Amino acid sequence: MATRNPGRTAFPRRAVLKLAAGGGIAGALVLPRRATAADVTLDIWTGYPELVPYYQSVAADYAKTNPGTKFTFFSTSLREAEQKLSAAVPTGTGPDIYDIGTNISVNFIDNGLIDPNPPEIDGYLKGGGWNRFVVDFCTIGGKTYGLPLLEGSKASMFYNKAYFHEAGIADPPATMADLVAAAQKLVKFDASGKMTRSGISLRLSGQGSGVGEKFRYVLEAAGGSVIARTPSGKYHNNYDNDAGRSALQFYVDAVQKYKIDDPKVQHDAAAFAAGATAILWREAWVIGEIQEKNPKLEYGVVPIPKWNATSPYKMLLQPWNIYVNGKSSKKDAAWGFLKFLTNQENSLRLTSMTGWVSERQDVNWKPLLDKTPQFEVFVTPPKDMDYYVEPILTAWDEIESKLADRLVAAYPDPSLNGNPAKVAASVKQMAAETDSLLKEAGFYGTT
Amino acid sequence: MNVIVAAPRLAGTWFRSHARNWRIILFCYLALAPVMALFAYVRIYPIAWSAVLSFYDWNLIRARKPFVGFANYLRLVSDENFVLALKNTLTYSVATVVLSTLIALPLAVFLARKSRLSAFYQTVYFLPVITPMVPMAIAWKWIYDYNYGLLNYALSFVGLGPVAWLTDPDIALWALIIMSVWKVLGYNLILFLVGIRNIPARYIEAASLDGADAWQKFRHITFPLLKPILLYVLVTATINAFNVFTQVYVMTLGSQAAPGQAVRVLVFDIYQNAFQYFRMGYASAEAVALTFIVLGFTLIQFRFARSQEIA
Repeated sequence: MATRNPGRTAFPRRAVLKLAAGGGIAGALVLPRRATAADVTLDIWTGYPELVPYYQSVAADYAKTNPGTKFTFFSTSLREAEQKLSAAVPTGTGPDIYDIGTNISVNFIDNGLIDPNPPEIDGYLKGGGWNRFVVDFCTIGGKTYGLPLLEGSKASMFYNKAYFHEAGIADPPATMADLVAAAQKLVKFDASGKMTRSGISLRLSGQGSGVGEKFRYVLEAAGGSVIARTPSGKYHNNYDNDAGRSALQFYVDAVQKYKIDDPKVQHDAAAFAAGATAILWREAWVIGEIQEKNPKLEYGVVPIPKWNATSPYKMLLQPWNIYVNGKSSKKDAAWGFLKFLTNQENSLRLTSMTGWVSERQDVNWKPLLDKTPQFEVFVTPPKDMDYYVEPILTAWDEIESKLADRLVAAYPDPSLNGNPAKVAASVKQMAAETDSLLKEAGFYGTT
Repeated sequence: MNVIVAAPRLAGTWFRSHARNWRIILFCYLALAPVMALFAYVRIYPIAWSAVLSFYDWNLIRARKPFVGFANYLRLVSDENFVLALKNTLTYSVATVVLSTLIALPLAVFLARKSRLSAFYQTVYFLPVITPMVPMAIAWKWIYDYNYGLLNYALSFVGLGPVAWLTDPDIALWALIIMSVWKVLGYNLILFLVGIRNIPARYIEAASLDGADAWQKFRHITFPLLKPILLYVLVTATINAFNVFTQVYVMTLGSQAAPGQAVRVLVFDIYQNAFQYFRMGYASAEAVALTFIVLGFTLIQFRFARSQEIA
């Protein structure tokens, strides 16, 4: 006969079984919930801190219909974001979603760190929301990668209407020759000959790819390009030619012959907002800068001039894409959010909130244009505009940066003034370096 | 008998005394071990790993990282940017070290005199040393501004025209040197001041009794006794000067900045190759070369100082 042990607490067998069954049912209810895509936290990194409020705003709306999805955001300066991503993504410690330039993403794609878009996203990208240049930009080896978030360039010409009126210039210049003529009327000097207002604010100093990018506005207009792709998929320089020499001559003349700009005076958006320059080639974000610093400034925005009356308008497209980390364990949830982020409504929100222009071509821009008409050339460029895009090449950033180093030395070099032979020699030297970098990266070819 | 008994005692005492010494030594090493391990991990290991990387074509992102032997080092010689950076760094370092030492030494002699305002001046000269480099470099960018800069405004009072401090390629490096001398002057000054104040007063008094003038006292007493401090100042200033980066990075950013090539220095070139172009292997070769250059200069300075001591 079994006797109870008086020293132990008694647990009836039935109670234990009930507890076990209850626990099992509870576990069965809880565990699958953890495994669904609904309860996820998506980490998003960006190199543009001004995008964070936009991401937060869209994420808040997304969470209304997807209550299980939570977000964390991290932003830092662009260069730091590039470095952090370059260290984190290959080691599997990166975020689920990040926006980044092709100088980084092309390396990730090359090394399998970004997956090709799933069929649904591929169809979404090719469904008419974006123009073919942008879709091509996202396509490598026949597969698409990421979604276009914003346009990093689409630079256009800002001009100060009051200064144009004062100088008796009725319309903004349409060709580069008109531009130089107008800038000569707009530039101002004091009694000692010191420039007090530049006719145009070009990028003449500093370092980095930004200098090269601004040089391309003239080079592409003149019919050249920094590199050209051959039918076999190789690349070579495409500016050791008339276009390249004309583009460098344009900058040298602007500084030394026509004196419409000077490296010493104030430059860029700050100069335009302050009225220290009459013309500026820049992206749409300058509109926000002007609204903040000098909202009463009378200005217009038109395309960057053509090379001459018969050549086309040209515009640089530099799509800035957003990607899902190939090593993320929450890819489905991440793609779901990115589709929502890049829809028409949120594309309008992007431009309204940040000044960065969405790449989508099917957005109703009326609410934005009613408020800020200067956005027009950025969101609805002329139909006959010719676009050129940022080359998707691992060596591109180095090519453009090293070209920039040589350009800033050439612009104020007095030995280039009125010396076409020396200009040609300079261009040849720059082009040789470009080809050498292409060779080193294994991309060089002429056929 | 006594001898027989004393021998083991002596041996025992010797053993106990040495065992105690060993325990103390062991304790010291054990106590230092965590710090040494941390130092090895954060300092020695990265340096050694950089040296290893310099023999590879090590791209930060690319999966394939082949061994290339001395190819990265051979490439340094023909790399225009590296050669330019080396030239600029040498000019910058020599000018910064020489100027900051030559200005700090007489200032220290002057401030070593007992004066009510001495502490105030020491504080004023030392302030730039403790100011963080980034805000300071931005402030100097404004000081150097061609149109609105304080420096050109000051020059206008003596009838001099404005100078394009940052944008003129021939002047930009010197603008950087001026700023850096201003930054390190206070540090050198304080070191010299400590050295001068530690010179026994009786030497100076004896020289005064012998009728030595101020220059003779400096030439024959102060300066010779300051040599160890001078060596320390020269070595640390040289190492710091060769590692210049932050001010170059800040001053070449943006459109109103110094032309990149005019102020390209070694660490900036290393940074660009490593973190912009992701050529970690090549950047590591540059870093190793920089280490040997600085080491070479330091050894030359030590050897020179020793030869002076012997003489």
